[in-house]
Amino acid sequence: MARLPFTNDIRTLRFMAGEMTQAELGDRVGVTRQTIAAIEQGKYSPSLEVAFRIAHVFGKPLEAVFQWESGTD
Amino acid sequence: MSFNEKIHWAAFVALTSAFGWYFLAYPWQIVGTRAGVAAAADMLLPVTIIIIGAMSLTAAFFAIRAPKEAHLKDDERERTIHMRGTHLAYYPLVLGVWANLFAIFYQLSAAVHLNLLIATVVVAELVRVGSQLYFYRRGY
Repeated sequence: MARLPFTNDIRTLRFMAGEMTQAELGDRVGVTRQTIAAIEQGKYSPSLEVAFRIAHVFGKPLEAVFQWESGTD
Repeated sequence: MSFNEKIHWAAFVALTSAFGWYFLAYPWQIVGTRAGVAAAADMLLPVTIIIIGAMSLTAAFFAIRAPKEAHLKDDERERTIHMRGTHLAYYPLVLGVWANLFAIFYQLSAAVHLNLLIATVVVAELVRVGSQLYFYRRGY
């Protein structure tokens, strides 16, 4: 499987948001728990809209949630 | 495992078992005769009932166990998975149509055409459901 060229801090942000579960985050973003799990594990690249929604839930800018990995094209 | 993935597993098992039985039990010695069509029709009835029954029971069972999950709308990842699976199923479908065209040129019997069409649909469905299951497991 091709590795995504970016990482994310969703797990940490969920922890800091009072151990928010993947299901809770999924409900607030409008996706399933499995989709949040796939995004968190770097298996699925979300749409820009979902990425912004996730950042919005944590009250953070997009780049605080998703980081482009240096060294990738 | 999401509700959709469970339903996909049920569809895969139902399709494999029902049509597996159909193709193994079909009386191939009469495929060249008119009776071959009647035999296919007779066998397709239980196959259809088994598939619809198995799918309905499975969907009802999981919906009762987790009603919230059953009512969730497909999200973007699931829509992508469905689209990719359907796209992959297009290829066996086209190959099956071409195989049928050649069967017409060779003036094969109606029962051969019928079975070729059934096989085309079954293979395309198995590719669709199977690839979607693979994408579910892989993450997208």
